[in-house]
Amino acid sequence: MSGTGTAGRDLQVVAMEHGWAGRFRAMGSPCEVLLENGHRERASSTIAAIAAEAWRIEDKFSRYRKGNIVDQINTANGAAVSVDDETADLLDFATTLYDLSDGRFDITSGVLREVWTFDGSDRVPEPGSVEAVLSRVGWSRARWERPVLCLGPQMEIDLGGIGKEYAVDRCIAIVGGSKCAPGLVNFGGDLAVSGPPTRRRAWKVAVEGVLPDSADHVIDLRQGALATSGDAQRFLFRDGIRYSHILDPGSGWPIPNAPASVTVAADTCTQAGMTSTLAMLEGDRAEEFLEKEGILFWCRR
Amino acid sequence: MAAADAGVTDMSKSSRKNDRSVSVTLAAATCALLGTGVPAPVDAQEEPKWDFNTSLLYYGEDGDRVQDASLKSIIRRLFADDKSLSIGFTVDALTGATPSGAIRQDTAQTFTRPSGNSAYSVPAGDLPLDDTFRDTRVALTANWQQPAGEKGLLSIGMSTSKEYDYFHLGLNANYAHAFNNRNTTLSAGIAMASDSIEPVGGAPTPLSAMLDVGDVSNRNGDQDKDVMDVVFGVSQVISRDLVMQVNYSYSYSDGYLNNPYKVLSLVDGDTGDTLPRTTPLPPDGGPSGQFLFENRPDERTQHSLYTQAKYNMDGKVLDLSYRYMTDDWEIDSHTVDVRYRWPIGSRSYLEPHVRFYTQSEAEFYRLSLDSSQELPAFASSDYRLGNFDAITAGLKYGWKTRSGNDMSLRVEWYTQSGTVPGDQLIGNQTGRDNYPDLNALIVQFSYRFSR
Repeated sequence: MSGTGTAGRDLQVVAMEHGWAGRFRAMGSPCEVLLENGHRERASSTIAAIAAEAWRIEDKFSRYRKGNIVDQINTANGAAVSVDDETADLLDFATTLYDLSDGRFDITSGVLREVWTFDGSDRVPEPGSVEAVLSRVGWSRARWERPVLCLGPQMEIDLGGIGKEYAVDRCIAIVGGSKCAPGLVNFGGDLAVSGPPTRRRAWKVAVEGVLPDSADHVIDLRQGALATSGDAQRFLFRDGIRYSHILDPGSGWPIPNAPASVTVAADTCTQAGMTSTLAMLEGDRAEEFLEKEGILFWCRR
Repeated sequence: MAAADAGVTDMSKSSRKNDRSVSVTLAAATCALLGTGVPAPVDAQEEPKWDFNTSLLYYGEDGDRVQDASLKSIIRRLFADDKSLSIGFTVDALTGATPSGAIRQDTAQTFTRPSGNSAYSVPAGDLPLDDTFRDTRVALTANWQQPAGEKGLLSIGMSTSKEYDYFHLGLNANYAHAFNNRNTTLSAGIAMASDSIEPVGGAPTPLSAMLDVGDVSNRNGDQDKDVMDVVFGVSQVISRDLVMQVNYSYSYSDGYLNNPYKVLSLVDGDTGDTLPRTTPLPPDGGPSGQFLFENRPDERTQHSLYTQAKYNMDGKVLDLSYRYMTDDWEIDSHTVDVRYRWPIGSRSYLEPHVRFYTQSEAEFYRLSLDSSQELPAFASSDYRLGNFDAITAGLKYGWKTRSGNDMSLRVEWYTQSGTVPGDQLIGNQTGRDNYPDLNALIVQFSYRFSR
């Protein structure tokens, strides 16, 4: 999870065509909550509870925060760290994903960012420097025996690949339990709804087109969640080869032929987000994978 | 070096996956993580696949001049990967009278109809209007649009239309490319048209006289013209609330550019009155005076520069544009267009619209032809080539229906008034109302739905 500080934690609540909208920033993304029912006070307190939950998750799991559980793990330098239940649940989940992806979804792969910066330039790292960092990557090298985690020296975990979707699901549960439902929670494009809207057939969600005015996909969402992996702006380009920002922790190099982005619809945002990430990791077989899984998706190459 | 390494990183994919095994495992793991029960199943679908846009337009000029009722429908089919096909269909029913180009006289005037089959007369002092203007126009357009590469958008299209005396066939292509995090879009387009004109009664020989009823000796066969348009544009997102656009366009027309139904009065060099016919009026009728069919150059090159700014102020949108056009017929025009979209409640809006237009006359625009002077090579008294100003003012009300469809009603008034350059006025023409001013009402109802 990114997000570098707690400054500027403003919360905006505005009246909308169909109820209320709350806006704030968390986890490096613009966050939006739409609530269809309730008076202003109730909607405001629901939105405040949602923002508080998003910020709590950010504070607890951001790798940029000093002193949180992720920081304790990442600075343990080979020592064992005992974690709380929520962290343990996330580590169990990460372990499942690691197994499901044959080791390609790896929460210890974040250190590869020390050599890879995806800024649209041609700065592809030297193979030697990738090799050096790769020796600190691999969830199988960690000892995880709930509730104790022991990483190798200089290894780090990054829950950023799970945290935002997890936060969306936690927050949509708050909407579902409030008197302001139905509602929608959207954290930087990863979103979930608590159920169909009352005054319309479906929530309309636009998935970005190639050009600002081009025919965007408009998705009618009545139940469930959408999440997108990939970012058309984050890549490297050298010698006619485009390097996507999806790294293969096995090699330390970008997955070849990964789609520019994959948007997936699923029951929960966590499922949607993990499925889209797993699809990206399949490279040129992303669509094949998604089709076989019988998943509703939009893949951009 | 990088290429080889990146190319061989394909880890062995064991046959780990049975059908949907990943989804099932992931669902179970998510349940455990979130500590909730089994979530409700996702209900999502992509919409819309079809977009229907239909409008009904009425355009009516006062004084029994042109009336147009037009029905237009555009059906758009959206496909995966941002591809789309649009088919448009338009039917126009035109009736009414248009100025023939002849000047007013203090006496009644008669004219041979364009068909050459009969004559009509105009009372003393009245503006000569040809009341035989009646036509049905059917137009068809098709447009295919698709992304080209990651940041490009390509569209190609064709258009065709048929009127009683006119056939149009056109092809067009446009490419737009996004840069700079998609904040800048450059576009280039080209359109080519090949039109054929089959005037009622045949195309008259330019600058030949209007003949008596039944005499078609100055009529020629069908005519044609080609038009090429090229446009280059840049649109720029300046801020979250401001988008600007600049377009340059070039248009070249080549071929028959005359209006085969327009004439000029041949007048006395002192009185400015139309010269009377020189032979007795035959029993079937004919023109009361001497009228010559117009002649325009057979080429026209136009340049235009268009700038637009769209500014969003908390949901209220101001749309401001200016167009400058100049051509080698020496017509210069300026257009300023202002629209302001004002949301009313959550489902409707009001949009006032004002447009100002002004143009200078074509180099060969003449109110009439002076018989005491040598005839010019080109001459037209078509009021649309004259010096005039026009204002459009109107209001649009749009609303969303309960089922989410868009409707709008637009009512606009158009008024055009012009002046004939003083040095073109001869004798009695001074003090007369020479330029045919125009007032029109425009009412349009639009309905749009998607499914």
